Formats: sequence, C-alpha cells, structure tokens
Amino acid sequence: MRAFYFMKIDYIMTRKQLYFIPFFCLLALVIGKNAGMEDMSLLVACSYLLFMSTIFATTPFAYSVGKNREFLLLFPATVTERVVGRFLFGLSFEGVLGLFCFMIVGVNMLIGVKTPLWMLGILLCGCAVGIITVTLEFLLFYLFGEGKDNWQYLSNIVRITPGMALFFGSSYLSAALEKAMASDMGMNLEAMSGRLLQAGVIAVAVALLLTAAAVAICVKVIEKRDYA
Amino acid sequence: MKIIISNQSELPIYAQIREQLKEQILNGQITEGSTLPSIRQLAKEVGVSVITTTRAYSELEAEGFIATMQGKGSVVLPTDNSLLREQALLRIEEGLSTAIETAKTMGMSVEELRDIFDNLLET
Amino acid sequence: MELLEVKNLSKHYKNFDLKDISFTLPKGYIMGYVGANGSGKTTTLNLITGILKGNEGEVSIDGLSCEKDARGYKEKIGYVGDDCYFPAHFKIKHIRAVLKDFYPTFSTDQFNSFIRNWKLPENKLIKDFSRGMKVMLMFASVFARDTKLLVLDEATNGLDPVMRTEIMKLLQEYVMDGERSVIFSTHILSDLEQIADYIYFIHGGKTVLYDAKDELIDNFLLVKGETAKIPSALKKELIGLDEKAYGFEAILPSDKAELLGGEFLFEKPTIDQIVIHYITSQMPK
Repeated sequence: MRAFYFMKIDYIMTRKQLYFIPFFCLLALVIGKNAGMEDMSLLVACSYLLFMSTIFATTPFAYSVGKNREFLLLFPATVTERVVGRFLFGLSFEGVLGLFCFMIVGVNMLIGVKTPLWMLGILLCGCAVGIITVTLEFLLFYLFGEGKDNWQYLSNIVRITPGMALFFGSSYLSAALEKAMASDMGMNLEAMSGRLLQAGVIAVAVALLLTAAAVAICVKVIEKRDYA
Repeated sequence: MKIIISNQSELPIYAQIREQLKEQILNGQITEGSTLPSIRQLAKEVGVSVITTTRAYSELEAEGFIATMQGKGSVVLPTDNSLLREQALLRIEEGLSTAIETAKTMGMSVEELRDIFDNLLET
Repeated sequence: MELLEVKNLSKHYKNFDLKDISFTLPKGYIMGYVGANGSGKTTTLNLITGILKGNEGEVSIDGLSCEKDARGYKEKIGYVGDDCYFPAHFKIKHIRAVLKDFYPTFSTDQFNSFIRNWKLPENKLIKDFSRGMKVMLMFASVFARDTKLLVLDEATNGLDPVMRTEIMKLLQEYVMDGERSVIFSTHILSDLEQIADYIYFIHGGKTVLYDAKDELIDNFLLVKGETAKIPSALKKELIGLDEKAYGFEAILPSDKAELLGGEFLFEKPTIDQIVIHYITSQMPK
C-alpha cells in the first residue's frame, strides 16, 4: 500500500511534466499522419509515444537527490515499498501511453478505418519493449546512480539514449514492414495475425516478470547500501 | 509564588530555585499544606531543564521543607516539623512491618525478632 | 525508562570517522548534542533517524530498532533539519496529503491550526518560504502527529530570538508529559542551554564529555587571571588556556580547585565556554 504513496510522491514531484503529455500525444498523432505510410502511421505514432514515456518515467531519479532523497528516506516504510513505488510510477507511464495507443485503434475502428490484427500484436510487443527499457533504466539508476548527487550528467544520457534507440528502431521497423507489405509478405502477415497477437501478450507478460526480478535485485542492492 | 533566575548569579540555577522557594516557605508567602507546581510544570514556566527543577525539589525534600507524594505532587510541610514527624513515624512503621513480615515468612519466633531488634538498637 | 539508546555507534568515511558513540536518553528529557561544525553531529543524528546506516553499533527507540521494524521505528521519530527537506516545488497542500498517507496519527486539523497560527502561506511553493517559515513548517508537520522522539539538527540556526523562544517553549511542552524526549544538535547553545537536561559533546567524531548539564557546570570552573602568575602545577590542569595580552581564561576541573590559591578569579562556566576551551585545547598550537 505504501508503495502507492511513494508513487504519489513521485507524481507530485514531477507533476509539471504531466501537463506536457496531452501535447506529446497530439504531436505523436501528427507525426504519425505525416509519416506518409498508410497502415504504418499508427506504429510511428506509438513508437514516438514509447520514446517519450521512457523519458518521463525516469524523471523522479533526477529529483530524488540530496535533501529530497532525505525526505523520502524519513517516511516509515520498507526499502521494498520505496523501490516498488518508483517502479509503479515508471510502469504507469507505459500503461497510460499503451492505453492511449489502443484508444487510437478504437477510434480508428469507430470511424471505419480497419486496423489489421497483426498490428495489435506488434503494438503489444512495443509495450513490452517499453516496459523492459524502463526496467533496465531503473536497474541502472539503482545500481549506479541512486543516492549519488553528481550523477546528473550521466543520468541524462541514460534517460535519453534508450528512448532515441526505441524511436529510431521502430521507425526503421515501420519502414521495413511497409516495404514488406508491398511484396508478398503482406499476405503472410495476415496469415500470422493470431500468432503475432499471442506473441505480443507473452512479450508483455515476460516484460512484467523481468520487472519483478529487477525490483528484487534493486531491493537487495539498496539494502546493502549505507542508508536504510 | 515567584521565581526569578539570574544568569549572573554565582549560585547554580537549581540552588537559586531552592533558596527562593525556601525563603518564601519560611516567610509564609507559600503557606504550609499548599501544593507546589509539578517538576515539569515548573521547568516549563521558568524555562529551565527538568533535571534542574528535580534537583531543587529533592534538596528541599531532604531538608524537610516539602514532601513529594505519588500522584499528589509536592506539598509544603509545616516548618514546625510536626508533619515531618508524622511522615517519619509512617516510614518507621512501614520499615518495621516489612521486617515483621519477613520474619513471619521465615517462621521466626517473637523472641528471636526482639533479640535482633535489641541488638540493632545497641550497636 | 530509556527512550533512546545508542550503543557503540560508529560510521566510517574516507576522511572522517564517527567513533563509538554511546548514550541513553530517558523518557521526558532533553539532550543537547554539541560540537563544532564537522564534528559528526549530523552524521549521528542521521544514524538515529535511519537516513544512514552505521558500520557498527545499534540504536533503539522505545525498544524498537530500524533494522527489525523500519516502519514502527520511523513513525516514532519527528525530524527537523537545518535545511528544509520538503521538496522545493511542493506546496503545503501536497505535504499535507503525503503526511496523511504515511502517518496514521497525522491530524489534519492540528496541522491546519499550526499553519494558521504561524501564518504559513498555503499557496506558495516551499522554495519561496523564508528560512523561519520553512522551520515552522517542519515543526508543524512533526507536531501534527504522534511521535516519541524529536530529532532537531541545527533547527534554530538563523532564526530570530522571538522564534527561538517560541521553539524553546514548544520543546518544553513536548516533554511535559514525561513520555517523549528531544535530542537537538547545535554548535552554539546560548538560549537552548537552559532547557537541556543532558549534554553530549563530540569533537572530531569522538566523545569528549557526556553528562547531565548541571553536573557538567558543577564539574568545571572558568578561571581568569594574570598569565604570569600561573604555577606550573596549575598550568598542567588548565584546559584550553587562552592567553591574551592582559590576562588569561581557561577551564579547570572543579576537583582541582585547591591549585588556584587566592590569585585567580573563578566562576561557574556556561556549557559554551566549556566546549570552546575544550576545542581550543585540541587544536594544534
């Protein structure tokens, strides 16, 4: 329960960035529309959101240094609750933005634009990649950065690099898929829809398991540190 | 009752409190039988530490000016010592009755007990 | 009945060691934790609040240790730091919400009445608060819930005398019921000296003196006089001899008073004078 309270503190600490989220969602839609690839616009939009979410998710680490960290440490709670709270904050971004992606699918359906099933599978895989990225970033922060005040410079690299990689990676993937669609592959993708959807669900499940493992590692590491 | 602490005084603070209370008890400004503020109350009002007021009170008690009773606070004793005597009597009775009790549990005879008592008196 | 027990507490850093700190603080009493800047006061207090973990030794509050029961332990502590630990871009409403989440005994009504009485601005960011407001906000957040031990780290630094007096009163009220205790650190005692029951004095991470304040004051004399007249037997016993052009000042253990003869002026010292002379006695000449 106290993990949620820590998540709430993280939200209050980083509340300014929340104002930007609707703006980035809109931007994602515009970028997607302008990508010029009929079916792929959705993928481009979503990959852009994934990129943003990994940056948003790590903001609390930039805040919880010095006195602010003391503030968190004073609360009556266990290390586990504190670490889980931070992960919940990170995952909540993946969750919210993932939901937003599927909302676009829903809206598309309402206005009569059909989204192919295989694309839902790929979207789910994308969410899984987002979760894993955030998890890895958090792991890096907890192993090397948390509690050190002079970590800011490196932390910016850790925060932005994976997001950029995700963005360009998925843009490249979209383009590759577009090409494939033009050839015979398109038919194959349709045929594999069921499998891809399955793969997506499994990927998300695996990502969440990885996160749980990462939480356990972080807690062990923090407990050995010289602050409680 | 009034207490004024001077930081310039050569007397330590607990002694200043003790002397001022003593003076007021002796000249009747604090009447016998009246209850002094609790140690913690006094510490807060005067703005000094609890240990300081505790020491002032316990020295007043040792000198027979006040008596502190559990739950009742510190009561100013009459300066003619009659209350003091009563208190002493009570304490003697208490002490003797525990001795008698112990003797009883040991199964000691009355004579034996008297012997001990007489011996102790002579030493 | 001991409330706070600190046993052989040590903490090692690359260029500083806090060594073997031990003391107990009974329920209902106030302890002043005294020392120069960098002597290890904040480190000790951080070890008590559980912000830091020690290398050796143990701390318990009301029988609880932070290792075994972090939640119960930390709930008993109210902490007021020298710097405001509330995030700079929080407002009072955020702090209220967070405290309400974490502390079952937190009373919103009490908190609000402190905020009103001390005229703390509801709609300003913490970073725009004055130093005094920040301190009072920390006190409000601590007094609005049930705590057993108040830990103050240089909390009254830079406050005006009126506020210091107000805080002194609050501390005395806090220990009034004989169940709760206060430990405060400071490098200058002045007005706070009066309400402290015990004094713990550290220098360079090591214990110098630890006793009831009244005992400490009884155990030392502040001696003044002409430097030339100090006999060598006396000179050995003087602590922190401060030789000035027209005379000297030093601290002498009271049991060495017979060495004084009639030549010198002596009076009861303040804790600050004892501390200062001890520190000068440890400085390289």
